[in-house]
Amino acid sequence: MSNSKHSPTRRDFMRLGLGAAGGLAASGGFIPRVFAADQPPIGTFPAGVSGSSVFIGIAVPRTGTYAVQGEDELKGWQLAVEHLNSGHPLMKQISPKTKKGVLGKEVKYGVADSAAKPNDAVQAEQRFITENKAVLMTGSTSSAVAVALNKLAQREKVLYVTGISGSNDTTGKDCVRYGFRQNFYGQTAAAAIGPVIVKAYGKNKKVAYLTPDYTYGHTVTKSCQDYLATAGWTTVTNQVAPLGAPDYSSYLLNVANSGADVLINVNWGHDAVLSTQQAQRFGILDKMKLVIPYQIPFLAPEVGNNLTAGVYAATDFWWTLEDKFPLAKMFVDEFRKKFGYNPEWGANNAYMSFAMWADAVENAGTFYPPDVIKSFEAGRKLQSTVGEVYIRKEDHQCVRPVIIVQGKKQAEMKNKEDFWNVLEIVPGEGLMQKPDAFGCKLGDYT
Amino acid sequence: MNADRLYDRSPRFVIELITAGCLVAAPFVLPYLGAAPNTVNRILVWGLFGIGFDILFGYTGLLSFGQSALYGTGGMVAAYLLTRAGFPHVVTALVIGMVAAAAVGYLVGLVALRRTGIYFAMITVAIAEVFYFVEFNPLSEFTGGENGLPGVPTPRFDLGFVKLDFSTGWSLYPFLAFCYFLGIVVALRIVRSPFGAVLRAIRDNPLRAAAVGHNVHGYKLAAFVIAAAYAGLAGGLLGVMQAFMPPDAFMFETSGQLVMQTAIGGRGTLFGPLVGASVWLFLQDFLQGTLGLGASWKLVLGIVFVLLVAFLRQGIIGGIRDLVRWLRHRAAPVQEVAAEEAAPIVPADRHVAPLPAHAVSHGAGGEPILRASGLTKRYGGLLANADIDFAVMQGEIRGIIGPNGAGKSTFFKMLTCEVAPTSGTIVFEGSDITGRSVTDVCQLGLTKSYQVNQLFNRLTVRENVTIAALAELRGKFRLDMLRSLLNVKGLQEQVERTLALVGLTARRDVPVAQLAYGEKRRLEIALALASSPALLLLDEPLAGMSPRERVETVGLLKSIALGRTMIIIDHDMDSLFELAGRITVLQEGRVLVEGTPEEIKSDAKVQEAYLGGVNEDLAA
Amino acid sequence: MINWANFISQVFNGLALGALLALISSGLTIIYGTLGVLNLAHGAMFMLGGYAGFVAYQATGSYIVAVAAGALSLLVLGIVMERVIIRHFYGRPHEDQLLVTFGLSICFVELVRFFFGSESRNVPPPGPLSGVVSLGFAIYPTYRVALMGIVAVALVVLFLVLYRTRLGMIVRAGIEDAVMVDSLGIDVYRVFMVVFGIGAMAAGFAGIVNAPVVSLTPEVGEAILVQTFVVVVIGGVGSFPGAVLGGLIAGEIISITSMINPGYAYVMLFAAMTLVLMLRPHGLLGTPGRE
Repeated sequence: MSNSKHSPTRRDFMRLGLGAAGGLAASGGFIPRVFAADQPPIGTFPAGVSGSSVFIGIAVPRTGTYAVQGEDELKGWQLAVEHLNSGHPLMKQISPKTKKGVLGKEVKYGVADSAAKPNDAVQAEQRFITENKAVLMTGSTSSAVAVALNKLAQREKVLYVTGISGSNDTTGKDCVRYGFRQNFYGQTAAAAIGPVIVKAYGKNKKVAYLTPDYTYGHTVTKSCQDYLATAGWTTVTNQVAPLGAPDYSSYLLNVANSGADVLINVNWGHDAVLSTQQAQRFGILDKMKLVIPYQIPFLAPEVGNNLTAGVYAATDFWWTLEDKFPLAKMFVDEFRKKFGYNPEWGANNAYMSFAMWADAVENAGTFYPPDVIKSFEAGRKLQSTVGEVYIRKEDHQCVRPVIIVQGKKQAEMKNKEDFWNVLEIVPGEGLMQKPDAFGCKLGDYT
Repeated sequence: MNADRLYDRSPRFVIELITAGCLVAAPFVLPYLGAAPNTVNRILVWGLFGIGFDILFGYTGLLSFGQSALYGTGGMVAAYLLTRAGFPHVVTALVIGMVAAAAVGYLVGLVALRRTGIYFAMITVAIAEVFYFVEFNPLSEFTGGENGLPGVPTPRFDLGFVKLDFSTGWSLYPFLAFCYFLGIVVALRIVRSPFGAVLRAIRDNPLRAAAVGHNVHGYKLAAFVIAAAYAGLAGGLLGVMQAFMPPDAFMFETSGQLVMQTAIGGRGTLFGPLVGASVWLFLQDFLQGTLGLGASWKLVLGIVFVLLVAFLRQGIIGGIRDLVRWLRHRAAPVQEVAAEEAAPIVPADRHVAPLPAHAVSHGAGGEPILRASGLTKRYGGLLANADIDFAVMQGEIRGIIGPNGAGKSTFFKMLTCEVAPTSGTIVFEGSDITGRSVTDVCQLGLTKSYQVNQLFNRLTVRENVTIAALAELRGKFRLDMLRSLLNVKGLQEQVERTLALVGLTARRDVPVAQLAYGEKRRLEIALALASSPALLLLDEPLAGMSPRERVETVGLLKSIALGRTMIIIDHDMDSLFELAGRITVLQEGRVLVEGTPEEIKSDAKVQEAYLGGVNEDLAA
Repeated sequence: MINWANFISQVFNGLALGALLALISSGLTIIYGTLGVLNLAHGAMFMLGGYAGFVAYQATGSYIVAVAAGALSLLVLGIVMERVIIRHFYGRPHEDQLLVTFGLSICFVELVRFFFGSESRNVPPPGPLSGVVSLGFAIYPTYRVALMGIVAVALVVLFLVLYRTRLGMIVRAGIEDAVMVDSLGIDVYRVFMVVFGIGAMAAGFAGIVNAPVVSLTPEVGEAILVQTFVVVVIGGVGSFPGAVLGGLIAGEIISITSMINPGYAYVMLFAAMTLVLMLRPHGLLGTPGRE
């Protein structure tokens, strides 16, 4: 229950009333909420919205295995906040009701280093909630953090939009009413890339997997295995390596001697970089085709040596989509202008998450969490950097396309960031599991 | 809380009351200092985790880097019961978690405590890593793998007339504060008990602690289990506090953080971990938030830690205590007794009734109290003792002399069973003690005072003797953790008597470091004497003494010889001939000759052994 | 049916892993054997050697300069560390020594993170050694094969220093009995300083020559440290041949276990350590009675 000792004063009633009236005027047709009694204190509401600004708590890895991806994500959020506060046209395209700020309030945020550790992330967000009365939490690169923050959100009754999170569980068995996810995940990645590689390499192939030893790794590998089995592909070996393993030689030797045709590398972050580099050194990439079912931001430049040439991968966003989607172009241009490089998909995910939240709040006309949640669940179609998307109300997963890319050869690269060729934009609907297939049971609104 | 003082001079329950007062006042005072409730709760959990660790490290001297394994175990068991198993009652689950952690701690201790010091530390590091791996992978069904166990409920009590619901923030604080208070109260009792006294002896000198009759391994294992129990409870509370039991509880870094916090706050103070946790969490928030240092806050912390370890041996609490002491000295200087002016043995002390020796189960006149047959010790190619036959009658004072390298000390070590003979037997008071442990032998009534002082250096004179006396009064192992040291029957009497016998009554509250050499030697003898041995071995008791000290010590030895048997090794033959009734001469590991002092003085073989046959040449 | 090609390649790989561990562990064991100090910063030193080499490589583009930089900078660091900090801890209990080296390791890691960030850094293998070589039973990166040779040479050099020079004799005597060496009039503190420097250099050298195999991050020393402990316990504290033997055994345990179930390699290593501790506490080649 609420830990706020604040009881509504007349001022609050007036504010709420004005806010509601404003929302009413803007939304036209939305059920008016004039009576403050309908919005009892919950979570950080209304304490967190009583001033002229609202606060967002961000827990992102700035050290550790995922630090590079974390920094990229952070920039996406920072750009989103800047655009919200200034009422930038790009933001208005995604969230049409946005004027300046969110419901007129300036957006402020705080950043803490989670080092991809659930405990540290929870600790930081708890502080943001109690001290800054955060109305929104975000941050994750590891699904473990996302799941932990999901639970925290549900307990504290503060909304949470995930950062990068690839495990099926985040909107599966660990889903919560107060949590929402924008990006693609194991199931959709496997379902999207499966047909592509079957088409490219044929049926009845032998596959070797490199799987990181935690549930993200296991669910992605399983999703891949399940799909590929329908095309007669068999698993000859599944090498499960601990997170942060410095040396993959033992695993790679097993792979090299397995007689596989294709190597599917599910490792993420720095582990993906290392395992791929070492695979090349063991001559594996000459014998087998590499497939990356869940792409890692900055994999190509970090791995070096043009190792990603010809490699198929599934991703959430790639900057050359600017040629296909006008909003993508706006986003990439703005990002590059501000930060000097083209955004990776973590940054895009971050930007889109905030934009979707702003849209949900504007449409709800209030920050009252249950109403914002219902606004998310209303199924409104939004224009995003990859076309039309919406949030599925049964599990709070965004229904959005998965981008299939293939690595470019050195010679084909037009500039030093031109690593991937966008091959296909696979619509999301057909890729997703049935809403209850992964055991999602959303909790209560209050 | 001064770990170095066994006898707590402060009024009863002062510390407990102050702690309770601070805990009650905290939620009213701390918000003004900018402390967030969740941070305070976290500090309490770390503080509780650290109490057990401090007992293990600060009081027993065992530096373990593996506490995270037990923290995580207790936490996971409690969280699993409360989430997946649907167990309803929070407090019971916490207790079960604590018990589970203690049980696991016992098993782990059996492996880890086979080695000491550095090896022990290395093993605990390995254990921490293994537990993390096991938790992450094979047992992920139960532990949620890298996701941990979410959804841990907070405690709720329905007392009939009132419902107490502790949820989060300041609302959870009373529950955690209460747990911490309980933890401190129990810990204070433990360290003030005879059990706690033995722990400190083990920290200072495990060799001597065993030699005065304590089952050192048993105590260490008990301390390890205590630390595991505290860790397990703290782990459970972590899960409750966060509504989520994270896998990082098992990480080696958690152990590392605990060690650092304890060292920063002050080891051996019980409150050190709490202070250390406050500093750590405060610095983490302050450096990251206010100063915007981002990831480099840990660097600052590391530097602070290294400086503290280097300069403030007992951390912040120790530093404050030293400061207070220094200020007091500035205000009222105390005359330090000059170290050279050792307290002479007051003649009156000699009239103190002798300590009763163990009742000798063997009648006098007939069987010797000690008989060694064919005693041999071989170190690789070196034959230290060869086939020694040796017997001492009850009530005798026997002297052993011999040139350097004769194997005298090795012989003594075999008699006290510090070293196992290569062959041969030793029979003491009719029972075969060959191959037994030095602890058992001491309990049977055979002790030794060492050639090189083996004292408990951080304790006072009185405390040193207390340790030895405790073994006599309580046996080699007793889990009397909740008893007060002052309540051990007969302890004070035994200690006072022993001190009187060696003439150290006036110096009883002086720390060992401030004693003169002669006084230390007397204390050394007192330690062997405190358990009222039937047979007392003295290895070079007069070594390094001035002539005056020798005379006094000989007198002392004469007085303590009443009612017991003594065997004395020394090089001072004049003194030894005065003391002993019979002398055994060892040379090159064998018995050369045995006889009265007169016989030995004029024996040609002895003269040849020492002087290389000068007499013969002269005679010729 | 065992896949023989795989088996042989794993055994071979184990030698490669083991050789590296042997080098790092010999540094740790001679420091502990002589000074009685367990250097918990040893893993961090391994990491620092790699980064020092990286900086040199960035500046000069030469692998050889990088290796020399890695080794020499750690020699200097080791000497300085002993002189400035460790020396003051000889009289203090073991636990204090552990604490201070632990604190130093954290400082080193965070310092590197401060200057270099958390992304991985690459030092590529030198031109002629990059690429792959066919060993018959497996295709193997050329550099790893070369690495075995490099490490073997380093171990031989270390052996020669320890067993064929006067300094080495003093060091070995110091391992046996430092007090005696002191009483013989030899400046034992100077010896300690040199030993610490040599031990650190071994770690640093290992760090830079290993950098082309695994990329450099601030955390790269952590896992190595724990494995080094295991090796030292298995081989016997203070014993240089023990470190070599222990390292090779550890390397083989890791690779052979990973043939069956890669995840358990780490656990098997600790199981082996526990076994040695139960049955032969002083290690395979250590002297009994050493603590």
